[in-house]
Amino acid sequence: MQIFIQTFIGGVSLGAIYALVALGFSLVYRTMGLVNFSHGNVVMIGAYIASTFYLSAKLPFALAMVIALGVTGLIGAIIERVLRPLENKDFDLMLIGTIGFGIVLEALAILIWGATGHAVRSPVPAAPLDIAGIKIRTYDLVVLAIATAATLLLMLFLQRSKRGAAMQAVAMDHEAATAVGIHVGRSNAIAFMLGAALAALAGGLVGPLLYVNPTMGGTLGIKGFAGAILGGFGSIPGAIVGGIAIGVLDSFAAGHFQGYSELVTFVVFTVIIMIRPTGVFGERTVNRA
Amino acid sequence: MRYRIGAIAALAIAAWLLPYQLDAYSMHVVDVMLIFALLAVGLGLAMGIAGQINLAQVAFFGVAAYGTAILTTREGFGFWTAAVIAIVIAAAFGLVIGLPALRMQSHYLGIVTLGLALAFTNWVTNAEMTGGAEGISAIPAPILPVVDLSNEYLFYYLELIVFAVALAFGLFVVHTPLGRRMRAMRDDDLAAGAVGVEVPMLRMTAFLLASVYGGLAGVLYAGLIRYVAPETFSIANMFFLLAMVIIGGRQSLIGCVVGAVGLTLVRELLADYPTYAQIAYGSVVVLIVVFAPTGLAGIPARAAVAARRVGLLPSRSAGTPPSLRPFQPYEPVTAETSGRGPILQVDGVDMSFRGLKALQRVSLTVEPGEIRGIVGPNGSGKTTLFNVVSGLYKPTAGRVRINGRDMTAARSFRLAQAGIARTFQNLRLFKQLTVRENILVALDQTRTHHAWRYALWPIGIWRHDNALRTEAGEILGRFGLDDFGDSLPGALPYGIQRRAEIARAMARRPILLLLDEPAAGLNGDEVRQLSQIVRSIRSSGVTVVIIEHNMGLVMSLCEQITVFASGAVIAEGVPADVARSPKVIEAYLGDSAMSHDVPEATPTEVVP
Repeated sequence: MQIFIQTFIGGVSLGAIYALVALGFSLVYRTMGLVNFSHGNVVMIGAYIASTFYLSAKLPFALAMVIALGVTGLIGAIIERVLRPLENKDFDLMLIGTIGFGIVLEALAILIWGATGHAVRSPVPAAPLDIAGIKIRTYDLVVLAIATAATLLLMLFLQRSKRGAAMQAVAMDHEAATAVGIHVGRSNAIAFMLGAALAALAGGLVGPLLYVNPTMGGTLGIKGFAGAILGGFGSIPGAIVGGIAIGVLDSFAAGHFQGYSELVTFVVFTVIIMIRPTGVFGERTVNRA
Repeated sequence: MRYRIGAIAALAIAAWLLPYQLDAYSMHVVDVMLIFALLAVGLGLAMGIAGQINLAQVAFFGVAAYGTAILTTREGFGFWTAAVIAIVIAAAFGLVIGLPALRMQSHYLGIVTLGLALAFTNWVTNAEMTGGAEGISAIPAPILPVVDLSNEYLFYYLELIVFAVALAFGLFVVHTPLGRRMRAMRDDDLAAGAVGVEVPMLRMTAFLLASVYGGLAGVLYAGLIRYVAPETFSIANMFFLLAMVIIGGRQSLIGCVVGAVGLTLVRELLADYPTYAQIAYGSVVVLIVVFAPTGLAGIPARAAVAARRVGLLPSRSAGTPPSLRPFQPYEPVTAETSGRGPILQVDGVDMSFRGLKALQRVSLTVEPGEIRGIVGPNGSGKTTLFNVVSGLYKPTAGRVRINGRDMTAARSFRLAQAGIARTFQNLRLFKQLTVRENILVALDQTRTHHAWRYALWPIGIWRHDNALRTEAGEILGRFGLDDFGDSLPGALPYGIQRRAEIARAMARRPILLLLDEPAAGLNGDEVRQLSQIVRSIRSSGVTVVIIEHNMGLVMSLCEQITVFASGAVIAEGVPADVARSPKVIEAYLGDSAMSHDVPEATPTEVVP
């Protein structure tokens, strides 16, 4: 039972990071109908920037994080601007375009930081908390707290601010939004920047948990994406639930199947998504003719 | 044509003589290049032709390569036996990976196939059977009498032959019924279903083709390198392969080959700077999708268009300008209609979309040989009824019978096979197929499983295709579309597209034709021609149901009119009676006064 709870908590903590990745995916998807396949690589870039400033420049972890958020936000804006001619036209091509960006980002990371990765020490004391015999890493709590705060801020932004409301409007109907004077391109750019910033947040947080290397984006991105789909693509609560579910699934799969955990995670994900393609919170889309 | 044969012969000779010019290392590069070209053709078939995002191509490759390795080194099979079994395993694996395509498309399919490809790499890196991260070495070379295939120069000829046959087969598929259906499904899967294309079967066929090509490549790889390890089948290589297909032009198999050859050479040239090579091909992919979505293969056509615009090439319209010819009426048949039951019977159908009741207890009976008009304000459920009858929606309650057979909630291709054809309110022609090909897709009444003949009796396919082409020519002639057969629909005026869509529906030889606002956007003359066409279609023995806002057309054309309001039938009868019914006047005629030119449909009826 103790092992079960410990595995579960470890899964939730990893899942919170997947949830942040999933949030970025969902935010971009609901605003512009685009799946950003380079999202995972943006996570990786975020992880590198945060860890470099934290380890090499000896900046405080929080400040390193802010720099990472800013840089990746800029990368997001560039990706959006380049692919803007395809928006609302050909989603498959846009998807491939983002894969192209992912390839470039990965190569850039190798150029700058080299092909081997580096480990990041935890910014908080390593001694785990002991609650009724269950050991919890303090860093897991930090991750959970930051992820929760980021989610709340995002929800607040989308629901309370004027810019957020405009983005919601674009998500529902980009033509109608244009008609009432919303700059759709700008709204998309903001969605993309926010998405990239969320990716960097996830990347910065995952650094001390995993080993930071140029190919870490692939798996993280795909698992975050799987979380977004599992929860219902485009839904904010769905992204959180889905991301955490993938994290927990991952953590139990790692416990039971060791090396084969990825295989198990993806097969289980595929089966679930076959049974319910719209995810947990997803809307049933209707074919119109 | 003569030039083409000459070019192919020249290429074949050049390919045959190539090894004499190469040193051992270059030979190796060319051998690997051919394997990638084979993979790219398979990926092009699935992605470019059938529109199925397949990011697991590299896993098909891996399954066959590992299959051959395991069967030869662990089980003691000979190379050729192992190769055949490995390709069969790869094909089976392809069908499994393809299963999700039945339920999801586009980016969902992309992520699921990518995830499963990762799962495969995860398995080979961990399993004992596959040798873990070290992989399997010492795979025996394939043995042929006389030819020593452990020699890379001679192995090249084996590859060349396999590649040439595979490419020729791929091109044959693309230009015959199976490939046409796939392209139709790629352009518009709803409309493809409505002309009888078995979309689920066809998606699986696309994955089957992709995996067989992947399997062939895998077997050749195992025979050439005689060593397999996980990194060959990594996601990075998957994206490299994807870049080949996108840069070359995914909708052209030749383009895919050009992409594979080009990228392999560029990677070889930049072998000392792999990271810069990666940046280069990633950037080119981005540039291609934004500026030249058809890839390198599409550049000649685009250049020709540009050259015509600036006057470097003579414009194509020398001679008489193309024109829409008059419709040639069908031979009237005096069908025996008495004693047959109704052709369409809709019985108490409900359709609701999460609380919105689009149809409420709708009942409707159409007798054979009738022209039935369906009118009603926008959003009253007319198109929803068509969508239920043609199988796009499953009704929440009620039954639909076609010719007495209960066809409630049958898939749209089943209904098309049962004799229902339809047109769409917002034109759904297959955009990247010519008008002739649009008609050819509809004409072909064979089922998908007939595709076995591609493997065993291609001559039969070829004959079948020729017969279809003759028939398509006749239909184009009947509808006066001779001049437009080889144009893409998007380039044609609206009225001609409307007529082409009716021609496509009639190519199904239906018993029941559903026309959804066929007069929308037509001018007065075109409406008169439409009226003549519909009458002739009826006199050829086809029952017609027509949704229309043009009351003049409906009143003159239809014997019976059904009036919809708020998802329910509020009146039915001969035009004169219906027009006088107080309920109808109140619901429809009253507020928009014989709406002669109701401009456009409301967004709720518009196809995305």
